[in-house]
Amino acid sequence: MLDKMRELCLINGISGDEDKVREYIISKICDKCEYDVDNLGNIIALKKGRKTPKNKVLLSAHMDEVGLIVKYINDDGSLKVESVGGIDPRVVFGRQVTVGENNMVGVVGGVAVHNLSGDDRDKAVLFDKLTVDIGALSREEAEKAVSLGDSVYFRSDYIEFGDGFVKSKAIDDRFGCALMLELIESELEYDTYFSFVVQEEIGLRGAKAASYTVNPDYAIVIEATTAADLPDSEGEKSVCKCGDGPVVSFMDKSTIYNKELYKLAFDTARENNIPCQTKTMIAGGNDAGAIHISRGGVKTMAVSVPCRYIHSPSCVASKDDMKNSLELVKLVLNKLYNRQ
Amino acid sequence: MNKKELTEILFKLTRQNGVSGDEFCASKTAAELLKKYTSDVTVDDFGNVIANIGKREEGKPHIMLDAHIDEIGFIVTYITDEGFLKISNCGGIDRRLLLAQQVEVLCSNGQKIIGVITSTPPHLESDDKKAPKLDDIFVDIGMSKENAQKLVSLGDRIIISNEPYTLLGDRITSKCLDDRAGVVTLIETLDLLKNELESLNCSLSVVFSSQEETGERGAKTASYKVNPDIAIAVDVSFARVFGDSKEKCGEMGKGPMVGVSPSLSKSLSNRFIQIAKDEKIPYQIEVMGGTTGTNADAIGVTRGGIKTVTVSIPLKYMHTPVEVISISDIENSARLIAEFLRNGVEADA
Repeated sequence: MLDKMRELCLINGISGDEDKVREYIISKICDKCEYDVDNLGNIIALKKGRKTPKNKVLLSAHMDEVGLIVKYINDDGSLKVESVGGIDPRVVFGRQVTVGENNMVGVVGGVAVHNLSGDDRDKAVLFDKLTVDIGALSREEAEKAVSLGDSVYFRSDYIEFGDGFVKSKAIDDRFGCALMLELIESELEYDTYFSFVVQEEIGLRGAKAASYTVNPDYAIVIEATTAADLPDSEGEKSVCKCGDGPVVSFMDKSTIYNKELYKLAFDTARENNIPCQTKTMIAGGNDAGAIHISRGGVKTMAVSVPCRYIHSPSCVASKDDMKNSLELVKLVLNKLYNRQ
Repeated sequence: MNKKELTEILFKLTRQNGVSGDEFCASKTAAELLKKYTSDVTVDDFGNVIANIGKREEGKPHIMLDAHIDEIGFIVTYITDEGFLKISNCGGIDRRLLLAQQVEVLCSNGQKIIGVITSTPPHLESDDKKAPKLDDIFVDIGMSKENAQKLVSLGDRIIISNEPYTLLGDRITSKCLDDRAGVVTLIETLDLLKNELESLNCSLSVVFSSQEETGERGAKTASYKVNPDIAIAVDVSFARVFGDSKEKCGEMGKGPMVGVSPSLSKSLSNRFIQIAKDEKIPYQIEVMGGTTGTNADAIGVTRGGIKTVTVSIPLKYMHTPVEVISISDIENSARLIAEFLRNGVEADA
């Protein structure tokens, strides 16, 4: 699973521009299951098991990542950009980025701190002040290399470090994609649906269409979620902790989760000695928000890997948490197929 | 050297780390590069690289060419119970870009370990978007305190690591172009003069000085030792970026910025401007109302006073890990300095 996650994280695909991620996923699943690509670009796959279950179960993860989009070229050849998905501009300023189809290197800069006065030195550089520089010295020079609407990506290696941690861009949600690929490549007892969806980061849009099409009885969203387990976050403020296992929430900003499934997840984890935790703040949201209110309603849960510095070029997650998430999903899945 | 060769040695130098007070790796690489032009190259106890060229004689002016070898970075001050590192700055880091940056801890045992500067998620922050204070952040090295203590020592330096890249045209991006671009400019100056170094009517000391970013300290001791008649401080200065005012900055690609300032030698500034005009070398005048914020400030008041001028390479995004320069500005800065050494010294000595 980790090999696939490394490859997936290094692929560029912001919301609405997920083609390369989709191509990679299709190359991995094409001879292992039936699949279809819908009008939005979602991959909807059916992995045949040995048996047909009583319930239709859907697993879902999103292919898109947060990034930037070019919206204007200044006279001096620098590019104005807007964020695609929720990004703190402070994790954009002073970074290398990749611009457009030709993977050009650019950097994000602004007025040097020395040239600012007083208060401005302490202010974050917001999106209206920062620019992407591809080295062009004029608009004409830049226009030859980029077009408005080009995607801009964080440039960040996938690196394993410390005591079993991974640092990369896009762990949210290439982790979910990698986990689902792992399941599709394995033998499954029952028929199972998988949706690799687009446009999560700009409002859970792909999942809305995909869950309508699949029309499942149960859904499990596989995600990465905010961990704030830093030395200065006390009590509930850490939200969840890297190393304490997969996260199953009772509620976030987009979903009040099905209680029965919430309990099932923790019971399953306990029975099998898999660490499992919940979130201690009502924060964030994911595709469950779209799926659980699809058609007449779908019983939905989310299993997420805790991730520090999410939506930044340097997301950090624990390899043990990823492995434990996979184990937990497998076990919970088996309990859903024929649930009364 | 051609643009490709210049880019290559610049990248070679920026890939070496040399945070103020711990410049050894960068100094060693720079000293090696100087050996092509003289055998008299040393790295002194202060971390300064000093190379002497030509015979120093009575009545023959001695010129010091200076660029600083150190770069901004951080220093480890504490390891928390959770295994996170507390850090302080070496030099004036731009705090606006710290959050979620990937860094390298340069451990005293020679090992380099990866870390990430912590960033508190938006929903846990009370105030609006501010540049964090160094006190508010940690470096996450993904380790327990026990494991961290085995590898990291207090006082270890930390850098924001970034591979250098070529951008459009001859523009390049890297960490620490401030002031490795100056170092390369001086190497290129020697290269332009390589067949006439012995016949110049001046003798030279090339100094790659330490600890500029923490207060021009290397240049202070080096210029005392070298005791030159004239000093040229080669550093970087502001190239205008989007949002900058025109009067505060030079422009990238428009040539060396010759300093004019009450703290610099007016005759030297004028001499450089005249040479640029005569030789049709593109140049820009950089007027500074007081001191210059470069090694020239320390060098100028060394011993009984040294005539000093600044030649600066226009650079965008100063003190970030994504600084940008144009190679043409290095070429033209080197041409200007070489031409001064060839023909301009007599007039000022």
